Amino acid sequence: MPSCDVLVAGAGLAGLTTALAAADGGASVWLVAKGHAATHWSHGGLDLAAPPGTVGGGEGVALLARRPGHPYEIVAEDLPAGLARVRRALDAAGLAYEGDLASPHGRIPTAVGATRPAGVLPGAQAAARAPWRPGEGLLVVGFERFRDFAAPAVAASLARPLPWAGAPRPERVTAVGVTLPGLAERRNLDGLDLARAFDDPSWRGPALDAIARAVEPHRGDGELRVAFPAVLGLADHPAVAAALDARLGGPWFEIPLVPPSVPGLRLYEAMVAALRAARVAVQVGFAVSAAIRTPDGRVAGLATAAAGRPFPIRAGQVVLATGGFASGGLVATADGRVEEPILGLPVEAPPQPAWLAPSMFDPAGHPLEAAGIRTDRKLRPVGPTGERAERGVRIAGALLAGARALRERSGDGIAIASGERAARLALARTVGALAVPSGPVAAGPAAGPEGRGAR
Amino acid sequence: MTPGAQPYLPPAAAPPLPAAGAAVIGLDVVRLAGFTADACLKCNVCNTVCPVARVTDRFPGPKYVGPQAQRFRSDQARSPQSARPQRVPRSPVTPLSLLEPPARPGGPGRQTAPRPLSPDLTVDWCSGCGFCTRACPAGVEIAEINSRARAVLRVQNAAPRLAGVPLRRRPLRDWALGQTDLLGRLGVPLAPLANAFLGSRRLRSLVQAVAGIHRDAPVPRFAGRTFRAAWRRAGHPLPRPGAAVSVGADGRFPRPDRAVVYFHGCAANYQEPRVAESVVAVLARNGLETIVPDQVCCGLPLISNGYYAEARRKATRNIASLAEWAAAGYRIVTASTSCGHTLKAEYRTMLDLDDPAARSVAGATWDIMEFLADLHESGRLDTQFGSLAGPGGTARPLLYHAPCQLRSQGIGLPALDLLALVPGLEPIDLDHDCCGVAGTYGLKEEKYEVAMAVGAGLFDKIRAVDPARAPAAACDSETCRWQIERATGRPTLHPVEFLAEAYRAAAPSGQRPADGPGPSVDDRPADARGAPPEPGSTASA
Ligand SMILES: Cc1cc2nc3c(=O)[nH]c(=O)nc-3n(C[C@H](O)[C@H](O)[C@H](O)COP(=O)(O)OP(=O)(O)OC[C@H]3O[C@@H](n4cnc5c(N)ncnc54)[C@H](O)[C@@H]3O)c2cc1C
Ligand code: SF4
Ligand code: SF4
Ligand code: SF4
Repeated sequence: MPSCDVLVAGAGLAGLTTALAAADGGASVWLVAKGHAATHWSHGGLDLAAPPGTVGGGEGVALLARRPGHPYEIVAEDLPAGLARVRRALDAAGLAYEGDLASPHGRIPTAVGATRPAGVLPGAQAAARAPWRPGEGLLVVGFERFRDFAAPAVAASLARPLPWAGAPRPERVTAVGVTLPGLAERRNLDGLDLARAFDDPSWRGPALDAIARAVEPHRGDGELRVAFPAVLGLADHPAVAAALDARLGGPWFEIPLVPPSVPGLRLYEAMVAALRAARVAVQVGFAVSAAIRTPDGRVAGLATAAAGRPFPIRAGQVVLATGGFASGGLVATADGRVEEPILGLPVEAPPQPAWLAPSMFDPAGHPLEAAGIRTDRKLRPVGPTGERAERGVRIAGALLAGARALRERSGDGIAIASGERAARLALARTVGALAVPSGPVAAGPAAGPEGRGAR
Repeated sequence: MTPGAQPYLPPAAAPPLPAAGAAVIGLDVVRLAGFTADACLKCNVCNTVCPVARVTDRFPGPKYVGPQAQRFRSDQARSPQSARPQRVPRSPVTPLSLLEPPARPGGPGRQTAPRPLSPDLTVDWCSGCGFCTRACPAGVEIAEINSRARAVLRVQNAAPRLAGVPLRRRPLRDWALGQTDLLGRLGVPLAPLANAFLGSRRLRSLVQAVAGIHRDAPVPRFAGRTFRAAWRRAGHPLPRPGAAVSVGADGRFPRPDRAVVYFHGCAANYQEPRVAESVVAVLARNGLETIVPDQVCCGLPLISNGYYAEARRKATRNIASLAEWAAAGYRIVTASTSCGHTLKAEYRTMLDLDDPAARSVAGATWDIMEFLADLHESGRLDTQFGSLAGPGGTARPLLYHAPCQLRSQGIGLPALDLLALVPGLEPIDLDHDCCGVAGTYGLKEEKYEVAMAVGAGLFDKIRAVDPARAPAAACDSETCRWQIERATGRPTLHPVEFLAEAYRAAAPSGQRPADGPGPSVDDRPADARGAPPEPGSTASA
């Protein structure tokens, strides 16, 4: 049975941050996940906190941290360290992000022609937040035969004052369709196909020529900013961005699309590259089914549902970062219960009659959104009266109770801060102090510190 | 009781737990793989990891052929076990025609021609590699849904048969690719002739024309003698099916803590006995005897070519033989990741063989690398490896590809850690999804180009390393080894062969370990292993 110091369940931002922080701290780490996470579904930025009424991320975090029962109440202090760690990994992959806790949210365009407040932004989305100067226009570029981004509709919507909610906006918004080479023969084109096409230098050149030619006639007297669907390269995105800079000679930005999110994939790949460099064993397709326990009931590892029989992994410290409902970290049953399926932890959730708000756009957010596991300050799960519910486990990310992540735009910040904190606390118990607990689960002498496949 | 409340038992004694999905929703999703489609979020994550969709637009991707198309499959079309051949209407199938009410003789609804069982023929492009299933956040068993749908396509396009042999070209080809046992039994006695045949480009072109197997696709050469024959000659027993497993002092076989049961599969028997030999030698070095039980092809090539009924017959025979050993407490090891995954999972998930015997076999089966890693983790592996360093003692990079059938077993990449124990070897994970061949997929003339495109990144990574520095590559799956070797010219061996070699290097010169590897049935000299390729040393020149 392989063993490690820290075992993380979940490959979302929370699990990735936990694993990286633990490995940076010298622990041997395994990260297992049932599948891919919200990274692949959302915009690739890092939303820290933008609850209504706030102007900047730091202000948002401070506001939420004062709310009793909100995860930021416990984890806000770990956000700067966690954010710095994630950004080091992104920098190393050539994905320099823009913004920090001091940046104002601004309002940036979305793929349906609305706008949203932003957190820390991928470099390729940063120009969307720069203040609009007088006379400056926006040109929305679409690609012929690519159905996931309707440039004319996006431009028509953004030309109205409504989506900008009073924020400064471009003086004129227009759209142009570009025919990229070779796409006429392509079928089933999605954003990922285009991103991979841009990765190919021999295709990229003619494609960027076509784009530059199409943009040129739209340069009038005033300045022009150009928006693209977020498909400008995957593995080689930094090179695509540099080439586009050179070709356009002016500001441009990407608008993230429906899943699969190319900016999200870049973020995920950058984090996994950092984890591999830190010799973390990253195993996707490993669904945790049960816990391994010491005779006195402390969690001492996890068993994943492998072919034929469960695959046990022993660990000194376990961090559960299995996400909320969308990822299966929480499950709602037909008879009105909300469950945490791995350990059966007590879940804090409203009773079923209150699961649904009368309005989809209720300003308070969705009632079930705040469901999750309640913890103590050390992120250890507790029951309704504050008693310890389980030993040997910490909770991170969207599985924590008390946040309305979509409403508050706080999900990424909570994931990063709680991951950093969970790793810090686990490290304090692991490295040098406690290795792997002994007992019947230890079938033989403890294995070396290196987990299997740890490269 | 929540699953978390169950105490963990050591694998040997533990009843197999259901898959996580089953624990979550309380259904036996293993048998109901098709119904996991209902959990699909339409998030497209599966499409981001599919190696086939990455290289061709002909395949729309796992989401469309899996959970989406599943909604249009009738109950019959979901189950290859019960699907019956059906005449396909001549009129083209359109999405609208599929929405028409089913024809019920004499019943209400418009009378229409019989509809095809399968709404989407492009599912045939799925190679079955399983990346989609492993990436899906919602637990949709996409690859499993696709495999069943492909089997139904096969039934739908059934050709007339003569003595069980299909009479049309591609059904014949697909059937023949499943007959690894039959081909092995014919090929080994005729090895020189068969190998010359397979090595001839002109004859391979003929095979392509007649049977649709691409002339450049990798096919292995037959060994001069099967592993089983060599094993018997060396005086080892080959227990018959049903022979009572007699264990202990008076029995013929050592106790389960002194021996393991070895499922060699087809490749190690007919084509690569040197792999079997290495398994025996490595086990012997660790004080474990090898028992070679009665067995036939695990059935995977039949499953992936849609011949479920025949696969089931093979499976039933293997289960009957292996369950006895499992019941007596033996671990079953295999060095074929395909066989391993089939014994562990596909008998249940694909063939619906879900009785206690099948479960006990699944629970007792170990990949050889998983088994050795387990020995190591409990401090019982002999780690006195000799050095495999290059000239002047320089460490050699060993380029390692993890095959999909290993990944699907959910046991990590144990070979990497074991190879790292060998002085002078620096295992490097090539970190590429798929070599393209996916069992028999890449052999088919219409799939060959797609398969080569899927593996191109892997081949480039191998070619980028000078053969003088890294004379050989490693991979746990036979068909992937052949594909990599054919595409790059780099000899590609099973990781266990490197371990056996390292043990040999540790033994005093000229002396083999006491419980030696038995008779040499290798089809190429030992010192040719790891050397740069000789012209014509790959499967087909
Ligand atoms: C579609 C979508 C869009 C979102 N957009 C935003 C946004 O724009 N801004 C924002 O702030 N927040 C957003 N969120 C909230 C989001 O949940 C957080 O931002 C944050 O990224 C969550 O990270 P996480 O790591 O906690 O969870 P997740 O990203 O959900 O990751 C959970 C991980 O756990 C794994 N897992 C689950 N069960 C098991 C198991 N049994 N065994 C092993 N692994 C398991 C999953 O496979 C997955 O890898 C969005 C969420 C969703 C679902
Ligand atoms: S990954 Fe799973 S949930 Fe997402 S589209 Fe594919 S099958 Fe559906
Ligand atoms: S099994 Fe492999 S080839 Fe088939 S759909 Fe899934 S990822 Fe694609
Ligand atoms: S899957 Fe195993 S038994 Fe079957 S053909 Fe391949 S090696 Fe043989």
